[in-house]
Amino acid sequence: MAAERALQTAGGLWTLIVSPTVWAVHFTLCYAVAAVYCAKAGGGQAADLLPVRAWIAAVTVAALAIILWSGHRALRQWSAGAVDPPHDAATLADRRRFFGLATLLLAGLSCVATIYVALPALFIGDCR
Amino acid sequence: MGGTGAERRRAGWRLAWPAGLALAACSGSQSALDPAGSEAERVAQLFWVMLIGTGVIWSLVIGAAVYAARVRPGPHDPAISRRLIHWGGIGLPVLALTALLAYGLQLMPELRAAGDGLKIEVSGEQWWWRVRYQTADGRSIVSANEIRLPAGERVELTLASPDVIHSLWIPNLAGKVDMIPGRVNRLVLEPTRTGNFRGVCAEFCGASHALMAFAVVVVTRPEFEQWLSQEAAAATGASSAELRRGAVLFEQVGCGGCHAIRGTAAAGTIGPDLTHLASRRTLAAGILPNEPAALRRWIAAADTIKPGVRMPSFGMLPAADLDAIVAYLASLE
Amino acid sequence: MTASADDAALDQARQQAQAARLRQVWATPGGWRYWSAVNNSEVGLWYTATAFVFLLFAGLLGLLIRVQLAVPDNDVLSAELYNQVFTLHGTVMMFLFAVPVFEAFSILILPEMLAARDLPFPRLSAFGYWCFLIGGLFVCGSIFFNAAPDGGWFMYPPLTTDLEQSGIGADIWLLGLSFIEVASIAAAVELIVGVLKCRPPGMRINLIPLYGWYVLVVAGMILFAFPPLIAGDILFELERLLDWPFFDPARGGDPLLWQHLFWIFGHPEVYIVFLPAIALLAMIIPTFAQTPIFGYSWIVLAAVGTGFLSFGLWVHHMYTTGLPAISLGFFSAASVAVAIPTGVQIFVFIATLLVGRATFSVPMLFACGALAIFTLGGLTGVMVALAPFDWQAHDSYFIVAHLHHTLIGGVLFPIIAGIYYFYPFITGRKLSDRLGRWAFWLMFVGFNISFVPMHFTGLRGMPRRIFTYPSGLGWDWLNLVSTIGAFILAAGILVLVLDVLRPKGRQPYVQRNPWRAGTLEWLTEMPGEDWGVRSVPIITSRYPLWDQPDLMRQVDEGRFYLADAEEGRRETLVTSVLDAEPMQCLRVPGNTFLTMAAAGLTGAVFIFATFHWWLATAVSAVLALVAIVAWLWTGTAIIPEKPSKPVGRGLELPLYASGPDSVGWWAMFITMLGDMAAFASLVFGYFFYWTIRPDFPPGPDAGPGVAWPFLALSLILAAWALTLAARRWNRQGLSQNLQLALPLAALLALAGTAALLAGPWQAGLQPQAAVYPATVWLLAGWTACHVVIGAIMQLYGLARSLAHRLTPAHDIDIRNIALYWHFTALTAVVTVAVLALFPKVA
Repeated sequence: MAAERALQTAGGLWTLIVSPTVWAVHFTLCYAVAAVYCAKAGGGQAADLLPVRAWIAAVTVAALAIILWSGHRALRQWSAGAVDPPHDAATLADRRRFFGLATLLLAGLSCVATIYVALPALFIGDCR
Repeated sequence: MGGTGAERRRAGWRLAWPAGLALAACSGSQSALDPAGSEAERVAQLFWVMLIGTGVIWSLVIGAAVYAARVRPGPHDPAISRRLIHWGGIGLPVLALTALLAYGLQLMPELRAAGDGLKIEVSGEQWWWRVRYQTADGRSIVSANEIRLPAGERVELTLASPDVIHSLWIPNLAGKVDMIPGRVNRLVLEPTRTGNFRGVCAEFCGASHALMAFAVVVVTRPEFEQWLSQEAAAATGASSAELRRGAVLFEQVGCGGCHAIRGTAAAGTIGPDLTHLASRRTLAAGILPNEPAALRRWIAAADTIKPGVRMPSFGMLPAADLDAIVAYLASLE
Repeated sequence: MTASADDAALDQARQQAQAARLRQVWATPGGWRYWSAVNNSEVGLWYTATAFVFLLFAGLLGLLIRVQLAVPDNDVLSAELYNQVFTLHGTVMMFLFAVPVFEAFSILILPEMLAARDLPFPRLSAFGYWCFLIGGLFVCGSIFFNAAPDGGWFMYPPLTTDLEQSGIGADIWLLGLSFIEVASIAAAVELIVGVLKCRPPGMRINLIPLYGWYVLVVAGMILFAFPPLIAGDILFELERLLDWPFFDPARGGDPLLWQHLFWIFGHPEVYIVFLPAIALLAMIIPTFAQTPIFGYSWIVLAAVGTGFLSFGLWVHHMYTTGLPAISLGFFSAASVAVAIPTGVQIFVFIATLLVGRATFSVPMLFACGALAIFTLGGLTGVMVALAPFDWQAHDSYFIVAHLHHTLIGGVLFPIIAGIYYFYPFITGRKLSDRLGRWAFWLMFVGFNISFVPMHFTGLRGMPRRIFTYPSGLGWDWLNLVSTIGAFILAAGILVLVLDVLRPKGRQPYVQRNPWRAGTLEWLTEMPGEDWGVRSVPIITSRYPLWDQPDLMRQVDEGRFYLADAEEGRRETLVTSVLDAEPMQCLRVPGNTFLTMAAAGLTGAVFIFATFHWWLATAVSAVLALVAIVAWLWTGTAIIPEKPSKPVGRGLELPLYASGPDSVGWWAMFITMLGDMAAFASLVFGYFFYWTIRPDFPPGPDAGPGVAWPFLALSLILAAWALTLAARRWNRQGLSQNLQLALPLAALLALAGTAALLAGPWQAGLQPQAAVYPATVWLLAGWTACHVVIGAIMQLYGLARSLAHRLTPAHDIDIRNIALYWHFTALTAVVTVAVLALFPKVA
């Protein structure tokens, strides 16, 4: 009974927001480190961003890994039984499938958004 | 009060900024769509690309909506709808946005590249511009409300403000950069052709934010050199009795407390440097034509022309005294 | 035969008796007592109407702007007045219309969408409304005394911290709006709890009407977006009032901190006003397509995704402030990414229209107009998301065009679609089709004539917020056209207003569910009854009125839950978060003037403070506290006369619940999340200064030291531990222990407060001298205030226990107090770590 209850919560609101939360943490880590580096590192505007770019690459890989993991779990939760949307039956199974699909979609969006946030590191090399 | 101010300003505007400049749809002395600088050119190009994209996407979206709601409102196969969401909602936008983001990001380092040597310090102050040229050989030359640039060079503007936030914007040359108290910002301009342009303050900065403009004059390098050496010189002495009377009055009334005229006792730094006032294109930070009648109106009643201005009005002076001061200032070539 | 006929007659008589009792319990009071109503249908209506009056007022200000700019060198308005007008136009539209109208509308229709009798905290809604009304009148009224704020709706310092250049208007802005922001957060808390806990049985989370999803997301956003602004307001007012130099560069401050805090609020704000409008479309479009939304999960994706991404956009309002390009790049990326979920919503709507058979009517007309306008606004939004283009467009009329496309297309048009759609729901009568079409075409054409040219006005160099401009720069005819368009738009709105206000007494009521919609709010009778829904149904579909045959009749006959009000109390159902299993029969409090008094007195605190009438401020503050405590004492955590009651269909539900099972605990939890967001903003301020100032902190020993802060922390944590112990003892039946522990905890808390403030005091930190001491005092003061409020709560718990309103079995109060103290303890730990330890490592 307790296990079932845990499962119910696990498929719920909190797992839904795992991947966008990862995006938010990734965003904050990129921005804060770059901003502090450019303010503190010395060298002024010409300061080379190489350490920051390496850092962004690392956190991006980590963030994408978590998002893909969340998406993979959601995919399994959604396609259990392989029923097409709209998942609008008043059953526990459909509620879980709905959460699975919504979580999967959010993981996809978070994945794209995380890659976008990492892109500036490809193009911009100093603190100007 | 506002009425007289508007009338007073109105008289001068057309002279200062000929209307003919603005006849064509995009052209103008203050238009981002009529670029005369390398940054503005690249951004204008970016805009036209995006405008075409916007037109296409808008037409497709609205076309689809009209089709679904009006043209063929009957039920369609859900598979079409699913494909619409997958491609219209996700696939195509992700492709288009990725390309656009990359386009925008790769522009940024180019637009922020360093300058070639000439530096100009510009300070935005309520509601005028203090301009100081720092030449490569270490000279520092003070001017106001007008920026002269040599064409084809990357000039670095150092932007600051002692009072409130302003923003320097010369649409024909480049985007704007804010002037923030306590901070120093940089803007590199690279004019590509000579001409007269207009810059403005783009950040709301108080009562007369609307009346804070300046002239931008792009000239060739030799012309710039010549002008700069002239600008660096002290004011020419008053050559007639009337002008000398004006100079004396200027000192007696206390104008020198705020304004400097190099070569005279007037060394105030609160207001614009007037050493070569008569050679500037405009008065009162780009809002009046530089001619004696306008100058007289300005001195007599500055606050009706520019609400909240810190310069006192001297309308109480006898008319003859005012004329003398105006004549003196108008002689400061 | 006769037996069953008798049964039927008996049944009918019983139904009528039930209906009579329900009607009496939920009756709206008459006469002057009408204004004591707290029911969502009254409060929601007042709230909506008031927000619309503010819309019209701000619209008139907008017309004044257009009149002034119609021709070059115009002098209808002076510079001074123009600056007040445009500041107030933006301020009123954003703070007094766009956000409140969402909350107002939600208070009005959300309970009916969820077949709930009311929201869980009706008195809180009423309190919020009165705060909104008072604050709104205060802010709007200022312009008639030439005292309106004139620094722009964004209020950038140092222009607005300069006491000579910004008069009392800036204080009116700061204090009046802070007051309203608090009310907005209150409404957000209520709406979140409403969606999570007050759904009808069976409405699992995959069946919630989409409006509910949007409410959940938007209210969550309010919870994290408004606190940074409130934190900013506190810094701002401290600088104006006490000369603490947070934004003064001469003493180490920085004007950019305000911009960060303002836009951390300001950009989510845009989506806070946009998403609810889209939510209306998500209700309207399926109805007129006569088919369920196609892509329910996609809409949820879009709403949640937008909610998150919108917090990563704020610096795109600061592209020109000279931040490093790499920083701008992150925000550019997020600003581009947010277009994806936005586009998904539009395509879901089109997909739904394709699947269904669209019928065209006035709401659909406005929905399509919204789509056309908003899509352009969204596309120009992508343009300005790119920093290089924004460097040109920023603060020019291009932005004016862009933001009006998003706000009028993305907010106003959907809301008007909503007015036409929901008008019968509210009054039982339809608006005129013919006038509706006139209104639409005038508005649509007028809008485009007015705002499309502004894109070009802006790119041709016209900056925003200028009260006049010279001729000859190519803006003359563009501006004239814009002004003409604005008046056509205004004519359309006038037609709408006339249609809404014209007497409809002779017009018959429409039939029930006039649009043949599928969602529960259309169960309402025409005209609607005060009880909202006759009985609370069991739901098995996203569109129950389409999919559950005979639902309306069964609801009307009282076949479901809470069909009666035997004890003469207002009751609604509380269900579980995910699966909406019935958990409690919640008694909601009835009409009262207490909330109005509490709001009036709280308003007086802010208004008197604006004018620096300190004695009156203090008196009002004490009276406000008394009113709020009286409200809590008499209206919350009431011990029922019996532990449970049958709610119908053989179900017996408890009447009392505490801890995470109770709505009050959730409200406290959610409120404290918002509170933590405000605290986090202040801590952000500390580290912001550390980033930009090499002398912040000035040295390892410059701060409040280690001893005092750690003494304070020990005392505060002891107070926290005693509170937890009191909760435990109470549950074990040891009420005497609680009655000893709580006053002791309050004493410890007050001692902790003293120790916390003693640190900077003993170190001789002068808050006016520089930004470092000011920030130290600010963090210490914030925490001290929280601890003092915690002590008041502990004493309140003591009094409740002594009065036997808090007992071992009925422990709502102590559990909520303990919850508050968890957050306060966390606040104290962070504060002490930052103040005492960070200078050592920095």
